[in-house]
Amino acid sequence: MKVGLPTFSGFLALFALGTAGISGSYTTSARQSVPHGAATQLQVTFDRDIAPIIFRNCSQCHHPGESGPFSLLTYADVKSHGRQIAYMTGKRSMPPWLPDPGGPKFAGELRLTDEQIATIQKWVDQGEIEGNPADLPAQPKFAAGWELGKPDVIVRAERPYPLAASGTDQYWNFIFRTPVHRTRWLKAIEIRPGDKRLVHHANVLVDRQQSGRRMEKVPGAGFGGMELVIESEAFDPDSHFLFWKPGSPPYVEPDGMALRLDKTTDLILNTHLQPSGKPELIQPTLGLYFTDKPATLHPVLLQLGNDRELDIPPGDKKFLVSDDFVLPVDASVLAIYPHAHYLGKDLLAYATLPNGTRKTLIHISNWDLNWQAVYHYAQPLDLPVGTKISMRFTYDNSTDNIRNPNDPPKRVMAGNRAADEMAHLWLQVLPRETADATVDPRVLIQEALARHHIQNDPGDFGAHYNLAAILQMKGDLAGAVAEFTQAVRIQPDDPIANNALGAVLLASGRIDEAIGHLNTALKGRPDYFDAHYNLGNALATQNDFTGALSHFRAAVRLNPQDAGAEANLGSALAETGNLKEARLHFERALQIDPKNEVARENLEQLNRDSQGRPN
Amino acid sequence: MVGAWLAPFASTARSARGTAFDLAGKPVDPLKASAGKVVVLVFVRTDCPVSNRYAPTIQQLSAAHEADAAFWLVYPDKAETAEVIRKHDSEYGYKIPALRDPEKALVKESQAQITPEAAVFDVRGHLVYHGRIDNLYEDIGRARTMATTHELEDAIEAAASGKTLAVSTVHAVGCYISDLE
Repeated sequence: MKVGLPTFSGFLALFALGTAGISGSYTTSARQSVPHGAATQLQVTFDRDIAPIIFRNCSQCHHPGESGPFSLLTYADVKSHGRQIAYMTGKRSMPPWLPDPGGPKFAGELRLTDEQIATIQKWVDQGEIEGNPADLPAQPKFAAGWELGKPDVIVRAERPYPLAASGTDQYWNFIFRTPVHRTRWLKAIEIRPGDKRLVHHANVLVDRQQSGRRMEKVPGAGFGGMELVIESEAFDPDSHFLFWKPGSPPYVEPDGMALRLDKTTDLILNTHLQPSGKPELIQPTLGLYFTDKPATLHPVLLQLGNDRELDIPPGDKKFLVSDDFVLPVDASVLAIYPHAHYLGKDLLAYATLPNGTRKTLIHISNWDLNWQAVYHYAQPLDLPVGTKISMRFTYDNSTDNIRNPNDPPKRVMAGNRAADEMAHLWLQVLPRETADATVDPRVLIQEALARHHIQNDPGDFGAHYNLAAILQMKGDLAGAVAEFTQAVRIQPDDPIANNALGAVLLASGRIDEAIGHLNTALKGRPDYFDAHYNLGNALATQNDFTGALSHFRAAVRLNPQDAGAEANLGSALAETGNLKEARLHFERALQIDPKNEVARENLEQLNRDSQGRPN
Repeated sequence: MVGAWLAPFASTARSARGTAFDLAGKPVDPLKASAGKVVVLVFVRTDCPVSNRYAPTIQQLSAAHEADAAFWLVYPDKAETAEVIRKHDSEYGYKIPALRDPEKALVKESQAQITPEAAVFDVRGHLVYHGRIDNLYEDIGRARTMATTHELEDAIEAAASGKTLAVSTVHAVGCYISDLE
């Protein structure tokens, strides 16, 4: 009897973060700050000169319930922190905005002018005069509750995470089981991390394979870890930044860029928590906002990086990590997210156009992990095919770097723990259609990226895996076998890679080899639906229907809603002579998916056979 | 220890000054109340994030030096009422007695400028140290994973040894006391 096609999961995306706020933010009717001729003005007053600066740049975080540790809404509030404000703004530590001036403009920039900073300093020096109440602009109004209005669905973390009163920063991941019963399109997620004073930033990761659940020791409790590897599905890797930092309003995706949410999708909230001095319970909530408009624009996340170069000797103050990637298609850059840990010092990204023009993409000369963010460009940056995107990150592993997690400094390499380092640059790009309409420009980018990563590091498991998946999709089975084989050589026990290699060997007719890898996959993960399904198919191809039967039964038990597994179970039962039960499973397959051809054809054949030979 | 050494006369005889109060409103002079011991005043503020993050460290240091040093929390903000302070101390697990210093009497006596800042007086009531607790913070928002120098603890030990010391200071990181009324 006929069996369905092999199945496997696709891309591995390392820590594919999410959208970022920062845009929009609040606008005030207040006159924008700079008093006429601040330099020459005799007296600076709060009401006329300082309040507009504070209301526009500080109050959005510094008001009750927000992340700022104290409010800055009134004269008394500001006066009781006056010198501190002058000090922090003078050093440009506040408001927190990492990118240097002079680069492209980002949405929601929070940067004071030199003149504004001088005005604050002068106000403090002059004795913090209140001024004339008639000059005072209206206090800004902030939405109470959900900033985007009532969400369509609200989900709360199942169990709170207890944060100790003291100690080092903690990284905790909460898994939200998606409460949708059919596929929906998400246009925004409002992240309420719990007490905003404790959560330094948070990312939502889309986990379509529910792979995060395997990391929970107690179901619903979440799991620790700073960086995550999430399996994502073939050819539709996540391409949105879902990022939250204090003071940033929720980011609403433009029309056509909604995010698909299936009923089996988990959302993982990766949080960076800072102890406050007292024990706290953190239990975040997500507000989901849907749209009827499905995604029509498909951005891609480009990841540059060079983990193999990251091997920083102790004491090195200027260790450079670089990477360069040439765009294989025309593309618009929508957003950028540079990422390093505590040794990162100077993070630079630029583009060199084919005509030689160099454009800064972002430059952060005073990197601070605590204020990391995703930056959306105010206007997309259009880059032509052949543009070289360059990353130049500098690290300080000396005692001069007070954030150095090691005292005395020691050799630091790439890794996912806070004390390891990272050199990653993510860009969200929207590729243009190519002249050949049959070629998806995303595939060109993904293939070029995978080949680029392999060139940087021939031992890059994920890159071999992703390249194999692309080649398989393009019909190059031999190429796919070669690349999956490389991936398995690097991680011999990895269940996903073994299953994928098994599936593509099966499709190539190399059944014995396929069976070996599928068995390895099941050894590593006995409850792996895909591997049971594929092994069932492989055994059926060799006419071992008894063997196939046990794996199809396992597959159906693991995923009772899969029509293909039901149909194949029916086929194996029919082959072993159990026609009665076979019929039940064909019928069940057609209940789940009325268009399932294997089940329909086999059922028709059963009906014809039983008419021909009444028993 | 880093830091400037001030002229020793800065810590001589105590002159007439204002008064600090306990949370019941009773005037208290911590140097008299803890006579015969090293006295540690820790200046804090309920809305200063740096001073709050130090709560476990301050409580732990006071327990470790219970035998030879008496710790007092000092709240220099006139606007922080006894009720606000009580609630704050219970949330942060403080067991050290708290004082309000609305007239900045103890601030002046300790030459304190920042919250959190510690002042150490020897058994004779002479100021021997004021400044940071340790070097966890290099600046606001710039913290080490953990402190590598421990100035307050060093000062307590030096004072407890009974030697005559010149007053020393290491600048503290946190919120300016001079911002307060």
